[in-house]
Amino acid sequence: MKAHIKFSAIAAVVLVLSLLLANCAPATEAPAPTQPPTQAPTQAPTQAPTQAPTQAPAKPAPEAIEIGASIPLTGKYGSLGVQVKAGYELAVQTINAAGGVYVKEFDKKIPIRLTIYDDESDPTKAVSKLESLNTEQKVVAYLGGAASDMHAATVPIAEKNKVPYCGVSFALWKIHQQGYKYLFSPFPKSPTQAEDTFKILNASIPEGQRPTKVAIFQETTDWGIELGGLWKENAAKYGYEIVDYETYAPRSENFSDMILRAKAAGAEALLAVPNQPDGIAMVKQMSEIGWTPKFMLLIRAPENPAWSEALGPLGDFVTIFPGWHYKMKWPGVEELVKKHQEAYGRPPDVLVGPAYACVEVVADAIQRAGTLDRDAIRDAMAATDLPMSMIGPIKFREDGTGIVLNPMVQWQKGQIEVVWPPEHKSADLAYPATPFDQR
Amino acid sequence: MSRRDIAFIISTLIAAAALAVVPTITTKESVINLLVLVYIYVMMASSWNIIGGIAGQVNLGHAAFFGLGSLVSRILWTKGWPLSISLILGALVPVAFALLIGAPSFKLRGVYFAIGTLAMAQILFITTRNLFPMISSLPTEALSTYSLAPRYYMALGMTLLTVLVVFWLSRSRWGLGMVAVREETSAAESLGVSALQHKLLALCLSALFAGLAGGVFAYYSAGYYLFFPFFPTWTFDAVMATYIGGTGTVIGPIIGAVFYVLVKEILALRFVELHPFIFGTLFILVVLFLPGGMIQIWSRLRRLLVRKSTLAPSAAKEEQVPETNMVHDRPAVE
Repeated sequence: MKAHIKFSAIAAVVLVLSLLLANCAPATEAPAPTQPPTQAPTQAPTQAPTQAPTQAPAKPAPEAIEIGASIPLTGKYGSLGVQVKAGYELAVQTINAAGGVYVKEFDKKIPIRLTIYDDESDPTKAVSKLESLNTEQKVVAYLGGAASDMHAATVPIAEKNKVPYCGVSFALWKIHQQGYKYLFSPFPKSPTQAEDTFKILNASIPEGQRPTKVAIFQETTDWGIELGGLWKENAAKYGYEIVDYETYAPRSENFSDMILRAKAAGAEALLAVPNQPDGIAMVKQMSEIGWTPKFMLLIRAPENPAWSEALGPLGDFVTIFPGWHYKMKWPGVEELVKKHQEAYGRPPDVLVGPAYACVEVVADAIQRAGTLDRDAIRDAMAATDLPMSMIGPIKFREDGTGIVLNPMVQWQKGQIEVVWPPEHKSADLAYPATPFDQR
Repeated sequence: MSRRDIAFIISTLIAAAALAVVPTITTKESVINLLVLVYIYVMMASSWNIIGGIAGQVNLGHAAFFGLGSLVSRILWTKGWPLSISLILGALVPVAFALLIGAPSFKLRGVYFAIGTLAMAQILFITTRNLFPMISSLPTEALSTYSLAPRYYMALGMTLLTVLVVFWLSRSRWGLGMVAVREETSAAESLGVSALQHKLLALCLSALFAGLAGGVFAYYSAGYYLFFPFFPTWTFDAVMATYIGGTGTVIGPIIGAVFYVLVKEILALRFVELHPFIFGTLFILVVLFLPGGMIQIWSRLRRLLVRKSTLAPSAAKEEQVPETNMVHDRPAVE
């Protein structure tokens, strides 16, 4: 009995002590306050200055500019992570081949050293990797991983460590609404996607032929809820009516009830953000039930060749907002396609371009900041005005969302074609969709 | 308490005191961060060990307790409740859930119990994902004052508490009862040991400490989806760490968790592309050559030393150490 009392006493002391320590422990490192930029850069320099500065550099230049990324190379987001990694690496290769980034403080071009870690699609491990990059490599900027739940875990770490963070592969707007100052994302976000959906339809299809009766299949995820709500909010403004709004949990197997209700409501267009298994199941069941919407925007699910392999002709006519595509006509895309083809034996996937652009944004910010000070780089990133990048011109809003082009692509005869904007299109929007049973 | 027990407690407290100094001697947040992860895994492995190792019920729904603890603690804490109350309630809710599901679950045995608990955890995971699809992020004001040090001390303290309670349990009448139920349920019941009571107690204690680990995770994380701690990987990681270290022992899950987190991290940092392959190979080697877990290394070394010593064969026999699955190195009923 005495032993029990001793154990209980020890346990109680440990419990109380740990709670007290947690509440009272001082911060080990007080974060330095962000300095305002001494001078806001007005224009993005594209070339390193040819003239040497009059003053001698104050300190020796580092061997390399340290940039780090924690990417899901394995695990459930592995297929996205490898695309992002390819984009980052190809961009760094290109920049380093030209000698690196010119840093005024040292009056020389310094190559970028990119450290990439695999976080196994585990947000906890991603946090750990970011801490490592901060303390071991002392990176001046983070490049993000892939997928919104990974970004949700890592962006606060960038904010805490006051390291500028450039991330792609997430359209979730909510992450940008937390007041983060160090987050930048040159990737189309939900509000842009919601408005562009109707703008593109109105611009591409003559009045009278438009699919004005819309069904929304909203996935019960943060992005699904966000984009579903924004579609609903914007529809009437552009002359569309939401005749059916359904919700479903990810990885549902049976969509037939929803499809039947959408069909009964006379819906002519379907908008959704399904994951790939759900998207494939949805289209198969629509085909079985015999409902072919004239227009389908299924963001995310049809982004890779597995879509066409699984569905064949049933997968045609479906449109996507991928953020970028290698058939776009920006300068430099052809070169990137060539390099990617050489390195990986296929054209670049949709995330390669935005990831490449992220490195361009960081390099441009470092050059304009003229220093490797993180706060100065952050301020320069906020003032980004890149006239051209792998994904076109880039600016940022105050919340860190990119003002970037949001292209629409469509599956046509087993191939992805760019159908919007007109100056980049590789094919016209195929509309209305041929009924499933006639393909 | 025997002299050995006192030695264990003192050495554990000394180790904890040494670890408590870490934040004062390093400013490397990566080190502190990694140690917090180690502590969370030690808590998860040790708590799983109570039901899976000591009581012998292979629970594959451990993530549900961790997730519930994290969910309750995070919601209460971010809504302005005191941290200590949020953590305590975060630990108690999984216990209530364990009591609720315990009685029907223990009607299932062996593999059916494992499948039943896995299904229960998956149901909870899907429900939470549907009910709480949004991110839980700390506001920027909180992030500007975020410090790892209090999280570190919290995690260290809770880990110490978990280890001490598991140690106490292994030396107690209740712990012995759990081992008896694990080894031969019918025989134990024929001697008046209530299998249901012992299993329920094991499940509740396991849920309590997994819930506490969830609370620590909620306090430590700057931003995450509330359903993330319900992912089955939390269960499998705890099970793997326990098996790597040695089930049914006090030290095994600690060794396993430390090995699991540190080796994986080192490999991931050094071998970006190959680390899953290397760790997988290491895991297979441990399972093949140390089926009782890494704790066997110690007993094998001792046996080797005994063999090599000049002791008489009879003495060597006396020195032999049991290898696997023992809670006690000697029976201890107090």
